[in-house]
Amino acid sequence: MSVTALTFILLLIMIASFVLSSIKLKSPDISMVVAAIVIAVVGMFMFPDLGSPVMYLVEGLFVNLDLAMLFIAASIFVNIYSYSGAVSTITRGIVEKINNKWLLITIMGVLMLIPGALTGAGSVAIFVLGGLVNTVLESLGVSKRKRTVFIFFFAILSAAAPPINLWTMLMTAQANMPYVGFTWLLLVPICIAGAICIVYVGWGAKPEPKEETLKKLPERTEGMTWWRILLPVAAIIVLFVLALVAPWNLPVLGLPLMFVIAAIVALLCNPKKTTGKQYLGILDDTMEQVFPLVANVLSIGVLQSAMAATGVRGLIGSTCVGLPLVLIYSLILIIGPICQGCFNYGCSVVLGGPLIFMFNTLGMDVTVICAALSLIFPIGDCLPPSRIVGRLACEETGYTDSYLGFLKSALVPILAIGLIAVLMIVKPLWFTFLY
Amino acid sequence: MEATKKRFILKIAILVVMLVFAAIAGVKFWQLRHYKETIVLSEDITDVKWLSDYCPSLKDTWLDTPVFIADSGVEGGTVFINGCPHPYEPASTMAAFLMLENIKVEKGKVIIVPRANYSGSTEGMVGDAYPRFFTVETQWGGETFRIGDRYTNPLDQWPDPFTYVNYPSGQNLAYQDIRNLNRTYPGRENGTITERAAYAIMEIIRQEDVDIAIDMHEAEILYPVTSTYVAPAKVLDREKFLETGVMEYIEPERNSLDVAMMAAMNIDQFFMKCAASPNTLHGLSHREWADWSDAMTFLMETPEIFIDKITGPRTEALLYEGKDEFLQNVTDKGLTYFPYDMEFGTPMWYRTARHLSGAMEIINWAALFYDDVECIVSWPLYEEMAEIEEQGIDSIGYFLKNPDAPENEANRFVIYHKPVEK
Repeated sequence: MSVTALTFILLLIMIASFVLSSIKLKSPDISMVVAAIVIAVVGMFMFPDLGSPVMYLVEGLFVNLDLAMLFIAASIFVNIYSYSGAVSTITRGIVEKINNKWLLITIMGVLMLIPGALTGAGSVAIFVLGGLVNTVLESLGVSKRKRTVFIFFFAILSAAAPPINLWTMLMTAQANMPYVGFTWLLLVPICIAGAICIVYVGWGAKPEPKEETLKKLPERTEGMTWWRILLPVAAIIVLFVLALVAPWNLPVLGLPLMFVIAAIVALLCNPKKTTGKQYLGILDDTMEQVFPLVANVLSIGVLQSAMAATGVRGLIGSTCVGLPLVLIYSLILIIGPICQGCFNYGCSVVLGGPLIFMFNTLGMDVTVICAALSLIFPIGDCLPPSRIVGRLACEETGYTDSYLGFLKSALVPILAIGLIAVLMIVKPLWFTFLY
Repeated sequence: MEATKKRFILKIAILVVMLVFAAIAGVKFWQLRHYKETIVLSEDITDVKWLSDYCPSLKDTWLDTPVFIADSGVEGGTVFINGCPHPYEPASTMAAFLMLENIKVEKGKVIIVPRANYSGSTEGMVGDAYPRFFTVETQWGGETFRIGDRYTNPLDQWPDPFTYVNYPSGQNLAYQDIRNLNRTYPGRENGTITERAAYAIMEIIRQEDVDIAIDMHEAEILYPVTSTYVAPAKVLDREKFLETGVMEYIEPERNSLDVAMMAAMNIDQFFMKCAASPNTLHGLSHREWADWSDAMTFLMETPEIFIDKITGPRTEALLYEGKDEFLQNVTDKGLTYFPYDMEFGTPMWYRTARHLSGAMEIINWAALFYDDVECIVSWPLYEEMAEIEEQGIDSIGYFLKNPDAPENEANRFVIYHKPVEK
């Protein structure tokens, strides 16, 4: 039997074991590990030269270790910051001072773009601002489902926004292209799609009376001042800016440590009398919150490693890049996000890199195409098996209804960004003026 | 109560299985980290230095690595050859090892670094399921060599920033490129450990007055620059940059691209093309070596399908023979940059031989263009290796020497990040 046939069988086995395990165990994370172990063991019999899978399965746990640490550190920061009363004070301030619904939603959108644009991770945008945005949108009468859509969509836009777009960076690194010229190519479509999302979410929402909203919001924390609110955020902004403008004069801190430093600043700025035991309680709760996400990204790494070893990744990648151009144009909006759902940032290597090389062979403008792919991939952050950002958005708003319902509601803004990106791929020359 | 107890036992059982997995993998990681390769140096190797001789702060780190010098004693050109800048491109290392074991120098001087990023060779490509080792068939059995990662091992340099800013260009690159030796040139004396290694390599080129600097790599066949010489057509006006910070590019005194083009045209045993190093892409050897020294610089890429990622099962055989159905399909659709034929594959000997002959062409053509850089040197070349392969013998193994043979004892050298007692 050919390698193609054998790896196709492995792909089917992987899907079947993932589905069965998900039904039985109700955990996508454990199911991914189960699917990885199953194809690793079956693969060992199909391709005896592969040898023992233990090492590459364990190695897979390290693929997203940094990302997992970032989630933990960012969550600790956000939870301590929220506990201090800063978030509720800001929310009250904004609701009291701004009366225009559209202006308020736009401010929320722009604010949400910042953390992800600086870190390259949409989840950080949710960690930092998700709670605040949820509360403000709720006060404006936006339904829970649309709030979830708004938070999810701006989180993925923030991940795609310059200056740090990890998909673009990984693709340019693979293709030996300079990471230059992407600012407006990314920002313009993001602004258009963001505006569409704002209109979609805000349309028909009826703000409740301000007094009602203020009643629902937590009271201002005693002793909370503007400098206590600003200092922790300023700390993280200063660390980011210093890392960009003075990278050769400072040691490399890494994102997790930056958030830990900001968490310590938040702790020092906390006006509430808080015991060590209470802080331990916050850390404990944080780990409870973030554990499913950490398990998720670590499991993806294991599955990714098993798929690579057994050739399943190769089968998917070679099939996708081998599709006729018309099919790629028509399917990229489906294949790209699915690939992101499976591989996370790894999709820029599995699918993005080969596609860039393929379009380059055809003499097309790969800078525009690279930017377009970087706008498509983040959409997959709402798709299984990982659905990291989608899940975080649901958790942030407390959305517990059908996940499919959320996906349907998110379709309008997703199509907006997706269609712009597809147009950029089909007609890249139309967009070259942006760089 | 019974259900709780069962659940507890199940959790303990899973934990035990995980610990067993971790222990097995831990042993394998440790073996890879500490495996020592032994080679037999040619009689023409006259001196062994270390990267830390050019950047002292590298001493006792996993980025320190031996630097071999073969000096003929006859005035001529100085050639620098960089092997294993990316350890996951193993033909680069094998070519350097074959040079070290077989080199003869009649004129000029040759400097060879066989494992430029030693740290990167002590771990695998995480998430890419690389085999740890590969074995070359030899007359005395087999010799085992390490593969490695593209990047410096995170055990030696961690964490990564959220974006890497190359020095001194200020160009933003992907975050993990801070551990990529071939993105950190010209390096910094007090920078990260990878930047220091890059700086040490620049210092070799500057202090040893290198005329011809060759960096050996491998590339995926979906990558346009596979099977290619990359060389700069123009170089940075260093004085202007240091005075004003403005990057302007000027005609070099000696044109590497001319040499590379002639070398590529002259090679008829295998497909090789030529590309100009872009002025706007920083941190790479073919750009920064030329910008920050007076050497003519060249980067060579061989076709290595394992890097393509969209391959079939990731076995040692795939790495060594390069025969893959998926890449054949993709090639048949005209999507690759190399005339890939699965029947032949891209075997290790072929890729290694390409580097050996590719480097020789550069050295010879540079001497034809500029006679003061002439270096008369020899090592096994593509034609010899192809002839040996036709006889069913592994040509890499054929040119390797047995490190355990008594006659080779005096020239035995253990490749490690610090000197090893014989």
